[in-house]
This record gives sequence, C-alpha cells and structure tokens, in this order.
Amino acid sequence: MKTASFLTVFVALLLLGIPSLGDCRQESIRIGYLQSDIHQLACWVALDKGFYRKNGVEVEVAGIFKAGPEEMSAFAAGALDVGYVGEAPATTAVANKAAEVTVLAQVNTEGSAIVVGRDSLVKDVRDLAGKRVAIPGHSTVQDFLLKKALVKFNVDQKGMNVIVLKPPEMIGALKTGQIDAFIAWEPYPAKALTMGVGQVLLTSHEIWENHPCCVLVAGNRFLSDRPQDARALVRAHVEATSFIRNFSDEAVAIGVKYTGMDEPTVRLAMKNVTYTYVLSIEGEMEYVDFLSRMKYIQRMDPEAFVREFINQEILGDIIKK
Amino acid sequence: MRWDRYILPLTLLLVWEGLSLIKVIPSHLLPSPGRILLGLKDLMVIGMPPGNLLPYHALYSLYRVAIGFAFAVLFGIPLGLLMGGSPRLRRIVNPVIELLRPIPPLAWIPIAILWFGIGMKSAAFIIFLGAFFPILLNTVSGVVSINPIYFEAARTLNAKPKHIFFKVLLPGAVPSIFVGMRIGVGIGWMTLVAAEFTGVKSGYGLGYMIMTARDIQRPDEILAGMLIIGLIGVLINSALRVCESRIVRWQ
Repeated sequence: MKTASFLTVFVALLLLGIPSLGDCRQESIRIGYLQSDIHQLACWVALDKGFYRKNGVEVEVAGIFKAGPEEMSAFAAGALDVGYVGEAPATTAVANKAAEVTVLAQVNTEGSAIVVGRDSLVKDVRDLAGKRVAIPGHSTVQDFLLKKALVKFNVDQKGMNVIVLKPPEMIGALKTGQIDAFIAWEPYPAKALTMGVGQVLLTSHEIWENHPCCVLVAGNRFLSDRPQDARALVRAHVEATSFIRNFSDEAVAIGVKYTGMDEPTVRLAMKNVTYTYVLSIEGEMEYVDFLSRMKYIQRMDPEAFVREFINQEILGDIIKK
Repeated sequence: MRWDRYILPLTLLLVWEGLSLIKVIPSHLLPSPGRILLGLKDLMVIGMPPGNLLPYHALYSLYRVAIGFAFAVLFGIPLGLLMGGSPRLRRIVNPVIELLRPIPPLAWIPIAILWFGIGMKSAAFIIFLGAFFPILLNTVSGVVSINPIYFEAARTLNAKPKHIFFKVLLPGAVPSIFVGMRIGVGIGWMTLVAAEFTGVKSGYGLGYMIMTARDIQRPDEILAGMLIIGLIGVLINSALRVCESRIVRWQ
C-alpha cells in the first residue's frame, strides 16, 4: 500500500514537473571557440560584455579547442550548438559529411603569418625550400595559406617537411631549433616577436589579400530547432564586432584576459586581423576549390556547396535593420 | 578447420553493415564495414595526408617500436637477471622501480619532448618506458622462481658461476623473459600510437595518420587505421610466440 501511494505521488510529481521544467528553463546555447585565437575576440567580447544575454540568449562555453578540426569533431559528436572556427576545417567537415553546420557570419579576415627564427637565414619565402615548417593541423586555414604561399611564390615543395604542432608549442619549437618556421593564427606570430624568438616572414595579407578566416557556424539541428536563438546570436556577434572596431582599448583588455598574453602582444596581434562580419562568398568558393585540389575533400561544384553551406539571409536581415 | 570461431565476428559484421545501411548507425559516428574497407583502399592509394601512403606509416611506426623495444630488452633483461640473482640489489633498486613503474608512459610525453625534441628519439623513449618495466619485472620473477635445488645441484657438481649463469639461471628464466617481452612490446605498440599523436617530424606513423584523418574528418580512415594497428599488434605477438617456441624447446 505504502509503495503504491509512493509511486502515485512520484508519477504525479514527474508529470507535473516535466512540463514546468520545460517551460521555465531556457536552454543555454553550447558554444565553442579556439584557445587563445585573437581572431575570435568577438566571441569573448560578447561573453564579457553580456551581448548574448542582452539579445535574449544564454550561452555556455562547452569547449575550448586547440585547433579547428578538433572543434569540428565536437560538432560531429553533437557536443556544440554554435562555434567560432576556421572556414577551412568547417568546409572540410561538411564536405566530408562528418558534421552538419552552416556558416552564419564572418568573424575575421586575414590575421595569420609565417614566422621564422629571429636570426634565421630564411629571408625570403623561397628560402623555405627544404626547411621544416609547422602548421596547426591539416585542413586548417593555415595549412591552406601555407600551400597557397608555396604555389604563389613558386617555392620548391620537394624536400620541405611540413609537420603538425599545436600553436602553443610552436614558439618553443622554433626557439629550440626543432622547426625552421611556423604558420599560425595571431597572437602567436606577435608573441614570437615580443618574446624576441621570431620575426614575421610573410603575413597572410601578403599571401591572399582579404582572405576569409574564421566564421561563426551553427549546427544544422540547432538552426532548424531554434532559428530565433540563431538570429539573436548573430545580432550579438555583429554588436561585438562593431565594439572591437569602436572601443579598441577595451577590446584589447578582453583579448588580454582571454589569451592570458601581455598587452603589447595583443595590440600587435590585433593590428594584423581585420574584424568583420561580412561574408565572403568568393573566398569560400576558393576554399572549396583548393581543398578538393589538395584531395582533402571530393571534387564538387563550389557554387552549389556554398549555397548550402552559407546562410546569408540571417545576417542580411540583421544588417538591414 | 574450426569454423565456429568465425560465426560471432561474421554475424556482428553483417548486423553492423545492415544497421548502417538502414541508417540506424549514423555513418559520421561509425562508418559501415564496407565504408571502412573503402577507407583502407584510400589509405593505400591516396594516402593520409594525401601522398603519404599507409605502408610507409606502418614501417615508420614499426621502426620506432623496434628501437624503443631493443633498448628495453638491452637494459631490462641484464638488470632483471642481476636483480633476480641478488636479493641485496633487489632491495636497493626496487623502491625506485616501484615508484617509476606506475607512471603511465604517456605522462612522460611533455618531458620526452623537452629532453629529446619532437620525433624519433622521444617516441622511442616513450616506447622504451612502456616496454622496459614488464621485461624487467618478468625477468626478475623468472629468475626468482627457479627452484633453488637446481643451483645447489650445480654447485655440488662444482659448476663455476659462469656455468651456473648460462646453464641454470638463464634457461630457467627464459620462458618468463619471453612473457615480459610479449607484454612489453604490446604496451610499447599501444603507447607508440599515442606518442605519435603529439607530433612527428617525418610526416609518417600510424598514430600521426589517424590524427590527420581526424583533421580531415574521415572517420572511415580513422577506423581503417585502427584496424591496421590491431592487425600489426597481432602479428608482432605471433612472431614473438614463434621465436619463443623455437628457443624454449624443452617446454
């Protein structure tokens, strides 16, 4: 008898509880970004200045990643709703059907550099022939940029040794002579400079002017289930990007807080990054074309892919308003 | 031919393929067996990263294991024989061994990179650590477990220390040494793949290949790589068993 009444009460509570929980609690959005990547400053600004909350959404940081491909694996595992990530790994993941995400806005253009040792004999890109160069991972924006630079400047790729190192390890490896050069996102090139370890051989601006770099992506399921939240998120992103351009000093302070690096380094790094939310369709087509030539993804029609991959509507509406 | 041992694996493969076909198992989380075989073909023909073919990845990994394992044998067996033969030495060395042994080889990775840089030496060092302790401890226990009567009998027959070592101690310990070597190479092989995750200079290695496949989001090639790692592990173990049965004929 006791058991029966207990069960009745339990079930009644359960029935009462479930809908009320669903009604009251607003599910927070799970966001991911790359560790110490100053390109993604807009994400940190939006978190720090409360732009997400102001636009009516709760955001929870569900992952901080060392490189883009890792973040895309988290999308594949269903562990993220939205993320700040490089356009190349996002393209590779979608083209290889590993993750289903859509680009909602640009985060930055440019902002990477090839760095060599301070006293390096490598004075020109062509001197990289036969040298050991570190990239943050295959199919990262930097892998793409390095290959593009080698083709553009006609560098002999035979005998060049490209190795994978995570950006936080690159400066140490350059200092100890284990690598001759690295290509990384800011603030690592700036950090190599301010530490007196390295010098910039070539900025990504010189490799490909105005090249798109990081993007704000959303998982397709999140986008279809919570379109209003996706809009709010893009609004917060636009606001944060404008904030960086208008309130540079405060943005620098937030950059210092999230990267843990010193102010001169962050200032120097931010000079090489263009913060913009404007999407670059031609840039994405170039990524698709190049990635398929590198055999990272299968050959496909870039235009058809980009139509599916980039949502221009949400950002377009917000900018209009 | 005992065919019944194939029933379970084949059934599992068929169920897996079937569930993948009707999309119960999403292919981005677990590709079907057929898809993995195609991934294996891509690893052989296109390579991962494109251009770096599977056989070379396997050769580089085997080379790293061979070096690390050779050092583990070179240090582990003589030290184990000495420690087995001398209770005093055992008492002196044991505390250090007991302290170092439980540290997972992978915990040494940051230190290994610091000491030996990225590449061959640090990978070999990690493998050495994985293989060394099982070899050492099994050698010690092999010696300790020899029946003391054999030593006494040899001494009664006026055998010199050299003869006692080669005729009694070493043959008595060999079966146990082989067990240690098989465990050691197994752990070394497992550690290698993780050691290669942290970075290689040559651009080759099965662990590196798997990480690259992850970068390029090809789960089929990741699983194909894992399959190859498992198969090579089985082959190494069988090779050691064959050596063992040839050397330890009296057993």
